Amino acid sequence: MVIEQYTITTTPKYNFPQNTIDTSLPQRFIELSLYSLKHVQNQAIQIKQQIQQNPFNNQETLVASQFTPPTQAIPLNPKPEPPTTIAAVDTSSIKLGETNKGIIIAIRGTTVWKQAKNYAYLRVGPFIFHITEDNLQEVYNTLLKAYFPEQSHQLSPGFIQIPTRMANLLEKWLQASLVKTISNGIILFDGSLTAGTADTPTQQLKEILAAARSMGNTVLAFTKVTTLRFNGCLITEAFPAYKPPCLIEVANIKPKPPLTLLGEVYVAKLARGNYAFRLDVDRELPAQKRIEAVERLLGNDLIMQGYPETLRLAHILCTFTANEVIAMQHFIQQRYRLKIIDRPDMHRLLFGPFGKGESHHEAI
Amino acid sequence: MRLYRKEGNIIEILSFPNESVEKGDYLLIEDGEAQKALIAQVIDVQFANIPGVLEELLRSLPDGGGIIQGEDVDPLEIAPHITYIQDSRLLICKIRATLEGEHLSPSTSWLPSRSQSSVKKLPIPMLLKLARVNGNLPITLGVTKENSLLTIDATSLDGRLNIITGKKETGKSHLSKLLITSLLQYKAVVIVLDLNGEYTGLGFTSDGKRNAYFNRIHVLTPSQNFKVALKQLHLNVILNILIHALHLPGTSTREFRRIWQFLKDKGCLTLHELGEAIRNWNCNQNVRDALFSRYYALVNSGFFTDNVAEANLLEECLFKAREEGGAVIINLRNTSPIDRQIVVEYLLGKLVELLTSWRLKAVFLFAEEAHLYLRETYWDDIVTRMRHFGIFTTFITNQPDTIRESIYRQADNIFLFNFTNEHDLEVVSRAARVDAETVKSIARDLPPHHCLVLGKVVRDFPIVVKVRAIDVKTMGETRLFFTGVQAESMNQTSPVSLYSVEENS
Repeated sequence: MVIEQYTITTTPKYNFPQNTIDTSLPQRFIELSLYSLKHVQNQAIQIKQQIQQNPFNNQETLVASQFTPPTQAIPLNPKPEPPTTIAAVDTSSIKLGETNKGIIIAIRGTTVWKQAKNYAYLRVGPFIFHITEDNLQEVYNTLLKAYFPEQSHQLSPGFIQIPTRMANLLEKWLQASLVKTISNGIILFDGSLTAGTADTPTQQLKEILAAARSMGNTVLAFTKVTTLRFNGCLITEAFPAYKPPCLIEVANIKPKPPLTLLGEVYVAKLARGNYAFRLDVDRELPAQKRIEAVERLLGNDLIMQGYPETLRLAHILCTFTANEVIAMQHFIQQRYRLKIIDRPDMHRLLFGPFGKGESHHEAI
Repeated sequence: MRLYRKEGNIIEILSFPNESVEKGDYLLIEDGEAQKALIAQVIDVQFANIPGVLEELLRSLPDGGGIIQGEDVDPLEIAPHITYIQDSRLLICKIRATLEGEHLSPSTSWLPSRSQSSVKKLPIPMLLKLARVNGNLPITLGVTKENSLLTIDATSLDGRLNIITGKKETGKSHLSKLLITSLLQYKAVVIVLDLNGEYTGLGFTSDGKRNAYFNRIHVLTPSQNFKVALKQLHLNVILNILIHALHLPGTSTREFRRIWQFLKDKGCLTLHELGEAIRNWNCNQNVRDALFSRYYALVNSGFFTDNVAEANLLEECLFKAREEGGAVIINLRNTSPIDRQIVVEYLLGKLVELLTSWRLKAVFLFAEEAHLYLRETYWDDIVTRMRHFGIFTTFITNQPDTIRESIYRQADNIFLFNFTNEHDLEVVSRAARVDAETVKSIARDLPPHHCLVLGKVVRDFPIVVKVRAIDVKTMGETRLFFTGVQAESMNQTSPVSLYSVEENS
């Protein structure tokens, strides 16, 4: 068996196919990060006993209803020509610890692109924020206004949602930057193209998709875990007979308002081995273009276990490793003289091995 | 540095990249509250088991196996902290002693506080001062890793059994020459069993001039300027030679004893008379044949003479050395294996005789590759009987398994050069004065001319030292075939083809 070896070459910063590049860094992220941390100096911090990472997971928010059963699968032929740039975006967030006033979180985003046979990445962050009851609204809305000024003032999320929502904000900014930077490429999002949720306003996603189309790009959104069912079966498991690579169109899904579907929903079986994913493709594009975009993806990217390598790398590169978590805790301890305290985990203390630990938060 | 864990007499210290600590270094773990400190030696340096490091490394590799190129926009500059954590190390240390005030004790029964203890490097000079590794008779072995001198006391070699071992060309002979010349400075009597003629140049500088030791170096070459007259021999010495070197059977030995006694009573103990006596002795023919074969072995060795005048040099050299110190080099370079054994049997017998009669006080015996000429029974003699006579032996070998285990167990000092072979390290690690882990871990990484000093000379604090240079003529160099050939070969044309050879022929 021959394994194709990709030559990895040095990629200068922003080595995108085009020369016109949006190189402005998320300045407000940095400013707000530093500003929020300034108020945390010399406080006690309780390191989270069970660090939980939230790779920003665009949870499928679609409530499944009756949809028309697919007639047949659309077979796919990989199209390596014309050579197409494949790019992907992902973000993740993590809670580093608690102070007596709030929580300390870190977020990071990654853009990965593949051109010819080379992968390259741009990783932004980590940004560390000290979120308190006092500054939660200010931080979130300042960032929202800075990056999406046209967005109406939103109700800021609670403590539990804030790491995910901040990561989402960074992700949307990265997506918006990417679609304006690349031309005639395939852009991969993690999640779906369902809009109308708190973290994905319809207008915001519409603008991103429109910007992508204006640059000749096609947006494909892969959902790893779907709740959509057909005949009681998850759509990703409902069509075992169809041979990959193929697409199975899932038509006439009726989302409950205020949710809107900005993408055409497919079940994508891109490789052998019973791996299937929900795939949303920009529905403003003609059907033929949508299918062709998936074929160009097949011809220009590695597809392992039915999942594009570019998107997998984006996810891997933005995820925080335990080592990085320790390093960030070391950073805030050194830079901001935080004193670590170790409060006992009440669940573990009371219930021993039956305790669910810190992750089992009370929902207020 | 932070104290991380203790298990048995191994202590683990967490060390950060900005702290430079290497194998062999000493650390002081001070517990202010207990007013005590542990002295520990680093025997291995490992990466600390940081969670997530594997993911960190793996995620930078795509399926092709190369590293993905990319750019990190790191506004808060977290990256240095990540590498700082990633590169943190775990120092595996052996506890060597406890320090209370100025007093050192080998006790390791207490545990310093993990949170309150401070860990710092202990400079070697300070350690040597605390351990009182000094004395009135200093011998400077060389420099430690901290560029401080390692000076031992000559008295720590006195009455001791020493081993110098390491693989080829690491500097064993160089160290033994250093020890010999240093002992000469203190008027010691040294005898060297020189297998390869390496020590014959001890009296000369590297450029061939006479050095300060010239008059105290006496090179004796068997059958040349080192001969023995039968008259000078004690019966038990000649019997030892016959039994152990020439393997004479018991019956024949009894007959020989009678012949010897007969000739001695007649006052004609010469080689010629001995031969005649064997020829005419009334005994079994097989016994006569056995005696004759041994007799001719003695004659053919050239080591025995009837001329007493040319047979006094050994005693003369030893008595000269007794007065002002000196080294008697027994050059065994061109001596056959059997003759070597004859010479060594005679020499050791003679030494015991001189020492028991107190005509000599004590001698330092340096024996290179002793397994090639020392009989089996002498190994036990050396560690038990010989030291009571005043023979203090230093064995030098590159084959550690040729020295008996009992020798390692009893060795007072071991000078260990580099070994990479696991089997060799296993043998050396049986020494009683050091733990196996230290030997295996440190000796494997020793560069040439660096030696791990173990035992009483360093008060059981193993120390790595780079042996200092001495200005003596080196005689043990390997003779090379290709020396000077390279230049010639450059001028050679390429080999002619087979076809042209045939043509030429």
